[in-house]
Amino acid sequence: MNATETIHPELGREVPVGRIDRELRQLWAEDEARTNASLINLAIYSESPGSLEKNSRAVQSLTREHACRAMLIHIDRENPEATIRAWITAHCHLRSGQKSVCCEQIAFALTGQTKGRLRNTVFAHLNSDLPLTFWWQGELSSIFSERLYSLVDRFIIDSASWKSPAASFERILSALTDAPRLVVQDLEWTRTFQFRVSVAALFDDPVAQASLASVRAVTIRHHPAHRIAALQLLAWLATQSKWSLGPSLDLSDERKVGQVEAFSFESRGGAEIIARLVADPASAPLGKLEITAGDVSVEIDRDPGASHLGRLLRTPGHCLDIPGPADPEYAEDLVAEQLSRGGKNSLYRKILPRFLELLAEKS
Amino acid sequence: MSNPFREDLVSRSRPEPCTVVIFGATGDLTHRKLVPALYNLAVDGELPPGVKILGFARREKSDAEFRTGLEEINRKVSRSGHDAAIWSRFVESIHYHCSEFTDADGYQRLAAKLDDIDRERGGKGNRLFYVASAPEFFDDILENLKGAGLNQAAPGCWARVIVEKPFGTDLATAQHLNQVVNRTFEEKDTYRIDHYLGKETAQNLMVLRFANSIFEPLWNSSHIEQIQITCAENLGMEGGRGGYYDKSGALRDMVQNHLLQLLSLVAMEPPTDLSADGVRDEKVKVLRSLRQWDTPEKVAANVVRAQYTAGHVDGTPVPGYREEDRVDPESMTEAYVALRLMIDTWRWSGVPFYIRMGKRLPKKATEISVHFKQPPGVLFNALPGGVPGSNVLVIRIQPDEGISLRMVSKIPGTSLRLEPVKMDFHYATSFGKSSPEAYERLLLDAMAGDATLFARRDEVEEAWRFIDHIERAWHESGESIPMAEFDAGSWGPKEADELVKADGFTWRRL
Repeated sequence: MNATETIHPELGREVPVGRIDRELRQLWAEDEARTNASLINLAIYSESPGSLEKNSRAVQSLTREHACRAMLIHIDRENPEATIRAWITAHCHLRSGQKSVCCEQIAFALTGQTKGRLRNTVFAHLNSDLPLTFWWQGELSSIFSERLYSLVDRFIIDSASWKSPAASFERILSALTDAPRLVVQDLEWTRTFQFRVSVAALFDDPVAQASLASVRAVTIRHHPAHRIAALQLLAWLATQSKWSLGPSLDLSDERKVGQVEAFSFESRGGAEIIARLVADPASAPLGKLEITAGDVSVEIDRDPGASHLGRLLRTPGHCLDIPGPADPEYAEDLVAEQLSRGGKNSLYRKILPRFLELLAEKS
Repeated sequence: MSNPFREDLVSRSRPEPCTVVIFGATGDLTHRKLVPALYNLAVDGELPPGVKILGFARREKSDAEFRTGLEEINRKVSRSGHDAAIWSRFVESIHYHCSEFTDADGYQRLAAKLDDIDRERGGKGNRLFYVASAPEFFDDILENLKGAGLNQAAPGCWARVIVEKPFGTDLATAQHLNQVVNRTFEEKDTYRIDHYLGKETAQNLMVLRFANSIFEPLWNSSHIEQIQITCAENLGMEGGRGGYYDKSGALRDMVQNHLLQLLSLVAMEPPTDLSADGVRDEKVKVLRSLRQWDTPEKVAANVVRAQYTAGHVDGTPVPGYREEDRVDPESMTEAYVALRLMIDTWRWSGVPFYIRMGKRLPKKATEISVHFKQPPGVLFNALPGGVPGSNVLVIRIQPDEGISLRMVSKIPGTSLRLEPVKMDFHYATSFGKSSPEAYERLLLDAMAGDATLFARRDEVEEAWRFIDHIERAWHESGESIPMAEFDAGSWGPKEADELVKADGFTWRRL
């Protein structure tokens, strides 16, 4: 094989699938100064054209903090011919300003029906004993099945990209029931993290905490593309506060003004709480959360592109105004955050039922 | 009532909003460590909203002057860099209070100021007093806090005190300090800080031992031959530190606190739980089980003290210890110490622990090495030359934090030749994200009421009890326990080599 003809500028050297391991060893033998590191297997799966190159750039960024063996997988299921091609490369970074630490990447392009090939051919190149994090990009297809997720330790999705979220969440719920050890991490849920931390921090204030029973209104402003994040944030507020879902609300008047949807809840004390979700194309993914409890109010907001949240607590006697960090904007940075946090994501499992109720109500 | 939004959110004890009052606010520790640590916590969103910082010191300063000085240093030393927008909000929570440490009226004014801050912040009056002043003021500060009623928290609130080292200079002064502290604050509200315990690898020691099933069955005298703890510094007495150091010495400055704490973590039994007292109960048992070197003869046989003479470090000529700035030219203070320790427990019977600490050694490094016994003298051990070296587990505390394991392997080829090889885990290689500074973790723990990584009164006193015998022997023995010498830039005096050689060992080469 002529090497000069088979080097892809982003994916590296094309190699026969049967020689991947041998070629990887050769890759390391060529450069003695580098350290090969990996803590996880990270597989990134996409059915979108051009995803291999885009994801190779994402891996370059991710491996700054998360040493892994990366496997990029693109499948063109519409193509009638069954083929498979592979490329290998390494992403290297200076750590502590001195040591060059490199992570291997294997990119696979498959066409045609993939039955068995993903598990038998692609997964044959996982680093043994290291956990598998699988980042699924886009809609869940028929590839997402027990055959796949039974091999996976951590499954990352971005429900913001789903056209029919209710159906996809049903499949996720079913997978979670089938595989109790599977950890699902939804990037929409990650986008709510710093808002949740901020709510928790502001309600540490004793006056705010005492006002919890008096919450009557919640407003969440969000970008239209991130309605799921807004619903998940609301589901979390309701679950943690033990609010039950009230009757459906008709906001036809407000709808004329903008993209508003409303939910009613009943507090433990039987009081009605109205939650409004306002879709605003000029908003950050999550632009603002406002909780009103009598004369106490909590406001958390983020300008588009801002790296910090504004966090404001107003009570009759005092006011707290302190910035806090914001969640990252880009998917690869959100994945990096998730990998840093680890954990079992039990809170996500906890809020899912309430979230699905909210999702069903407005579907 | 608890905050429902905290449930399942993060897996650590929850730090609570409070006012942090720092005594010695114009000092280096405040500027270089404490305030940058609080700033970094704010950047990471870990600092509870409503935390206020009040610097207490003798020098006349306005809030603005105090803040400007802090900003200047924060720009240079902050782990996460310096973001002007975040700093501008963070700095609003910082205030300055000018008073002599001995002026009771200053504490009354402090109390009034704290009440104002609590009113402005709303709600709870939690207070965290950080005593970072020179040690001679510890008593005055604590007594005056009590005089102003600041040691007592309002109902539903807490008042805690963090005490910086040194916790006394010997057992008597430590006991005195502990009495003063405990007259003022309850032991559960007293946090004696040892920043070594806030380091990632020190925290990982317990995880390594008790979350992996392969080590604990081997962690005893049946399988371990010896353990070495090394703390090497390449610096000498730069920056005027000779004045303090010459009164203290290596044994009191480093061994009594940091290194005996590391020893406790390495040698302790598994705690019944991870509560602060669960862990500290086991650590203090190790200190109680230390065989006491309580006669000059025992000290001479088990402890080596030394000073460096002029030499070269990193190719640069450096003076001898007695020629250093602010050091007495006839000083008898040790800049190097090596100890052989025995822990009289079932687990460690017959296993020597060696500790060495020195200034002006070839490089800066702190590590613990666990040396396992040789395999039986059959099979490969029966070959000419035997097995080259035993298994060694090394836990690197700083720099380049990580863990390595040395094992024996066959050299590829047709003949049977064995060589040691190393399996290495580097934090910085595996985890690209920088670890928080030790002070960040420890400050959060104190705000959360978690004292696991702080020294308890009995730990401090047991450590001093052991150290006092050695100090007394040195000072009372005259010339019978000589001060050894070594060239600056070397690995210590030959007497230290002989200490381990007498047991058939050598110091690990770092």
